[in-house]
Amino acid sequence: MRPSFFVPLMVAAFLAASLAHLGLFDWQRLTRGVRNLGILGGEMVPPDLTILPTAAAALWETVEMSFAGTLLGFIAALPLSVLGTRNLFANWLSSLARFVAASIRTIPVLLWAIVFVILVGLGPLAGTFGIAAYTVGYLAKIYADLFEGTDPEIIEAVQSTGASKLQLVRYVIVPETANAILAQVLFMLEYNIRASSVLGFVGAGGLGLVIQIYLQSLDYRRLATVLLLVLAIVLVMDGLSAWLRKRFLLSTQGT
Amino acid sequence: MTTALHAQQVWFAYPRHEPVLRAVSLTIPAGKHTVIMGPSGTGKTTLLRVLAGILKPSRGTITVFDEPLAGRSQRQLSSLIGYIPQQLGLVRNLSALDNVLMGALGRLGDAQTLLGIFPRAEIDAAHGALDMMGIDHKSDEQVFHLSGGERQRVAIARTLLQRPRLVIADEFASDLDLVLAYEILGRIRSAAEKNHITFIMSMHRIGLARKFGDEVLAMENGAIVQGFIGNEYLETKSAEASA
Ligand SMILES: Nc1ncnc2c1ncn2[C@@H]1O[C@H](COP(=O)(O)OP(=O)(O)OP(=O)(O)O)[C@@H](O)[C@H]1O
Ligand SMILES: [Mg+2]
Repeated sequence: MRPSFFVPLMVAAFLAASLAHLGLFDWQRLTRGVRNLGILGGEMVPPDLTILPTAAAALWETVEMSFAGTLLGFIAALPLSVLGTRNLFANWLSSLARFVAASIRTIPVLLWAIVFVILVGLGPLAGTFGIAAYTVGYLAKIYADLFEGTDPEIIEAVQSTGASKLQLVRYVIVPETANAILAQVLFMLEYNIRASSVLGFVGAGGLGLVIQIYLQSLDYRRLATVLLLVLAIVLVMDGLSAWLRKRFLLSTQGT
Repeated sequence: MTTALHAQQVWFAYPRHEPVLRAVSLTIPAGKHTVIMGPSGTGKTTLLRVLAGILKPSRGTITVFDEPLAGRSQRQLSSLIGYIPQQLGLVRNLSALDNVLMGALGRLGDAQTLLGIFPRAEIDAAHGALDMMGIDHKSDEQVFHLSGGERQRVAIARTLLQRPRLVIADEFASDLDLVLAYEILGRIRSAAEKNHITFIMSMHRIGLARKFGDEVLAMENGAIVQGFIGNEYLETKSAEASA
């Protein structure tokens, strides 16, 4: 059989086997699930708005954690990603930098939060560091790949003016990739706000603790209020990043 | 007559490819404009990058102002050779002035330039270079917003600020209409005379080559086929082109 035919067939077979194994063809369970979804939805309305002040305070803590964590991670990711840029540095050095980033990325943000709860104790500081760690691992890789994609002609031209590696980073690589740098850090901030709403599960501060309490006490009307708040903040973030993008990235649209 | 650049039996092959340059020998007289012509894919860009010290020749020797090119870093070469690639190599997100200031990076330390601080004298010189190319009124404009001809002027201004003795430019002014190309090349001529700069350019338009080149070298299949001020070659080529 020709590989062009063989590969999609294998993928399809693997997909079918996985779905069967995971129980997707178990119609009884599925219909039960849909019915339960209706019940859960019914129990969530109307949302209990009396807890709004408590939830809002917790939400604000989540936003602070995400913002500080993303920024810290971003600052640490920049030098690491520069070192990971293979066309700037010796192979062993960029491989090492990329290995460090990959190792950090292997650990999910929830585990990082647990690590920092152990290191600095319960509370939002642990969550902030957890978010920062995860952000470093992610952004360092994205940025290193981004930096490597800089137009080699521009690098050659500026290198021939005698520019040093750091000057190249400052005057060619960062300006040429500025749009994507900003877009990625905004994406990361959005992601971290959503991700950090579960960090409270492990005692790392923010909204998660509130969510956990209402979930465990089956208090779905209060839970609904919290989820609505999360939705609101994600929408606000969407608007904010759209505005930032327009404000700072417009000048290079249509390249 | 002094020699700006001399290449002796230079060979070059990209990794895992057939040789692109085959035993190229040439002599570039100082203070002149040498134009290299030849069909597409013949190795002009490759030759210019080798001459600029960006690519290392697999065999042969190159001297620049009587000193060997081999073994010298780009930073050491930057006071001798300026290089302008075909797409100019400008940073689009920065202003024209910032791009020109990059020409001075080779002689300035990391500490100040990383903070974006340039000495007053360099900034004045950058404006002077832009002015010489007739584009100083757009110094604060992002390169992104500039037209093709304006970008060519900025690229030349950056090289002028670098103050090399030899400038190597690939396919310069190739995409411009003739009137504009004449104007820009004219400005380059006066800037070159004033600053004693030797120019090497590759071109594919015979009219421009004839007008701008003091010397014209013809290249074919990775070799210099006629190393002289050949108007004869140009005549045959223009006859071919108009046929
Ligand atoms: N990085 C590379 N790797 C492998 N081969 C290359 C590379 N760059 C160029 N070549 C090949 O080398 C030959 C010469 O290319 P070069 O760009 O020097 O030609 P040129 O004379 O500048 O052409 P043009 O007039 O179209 O710009 C071509 O056959 C090209 O395919
Ligand atoms: Mg070329």
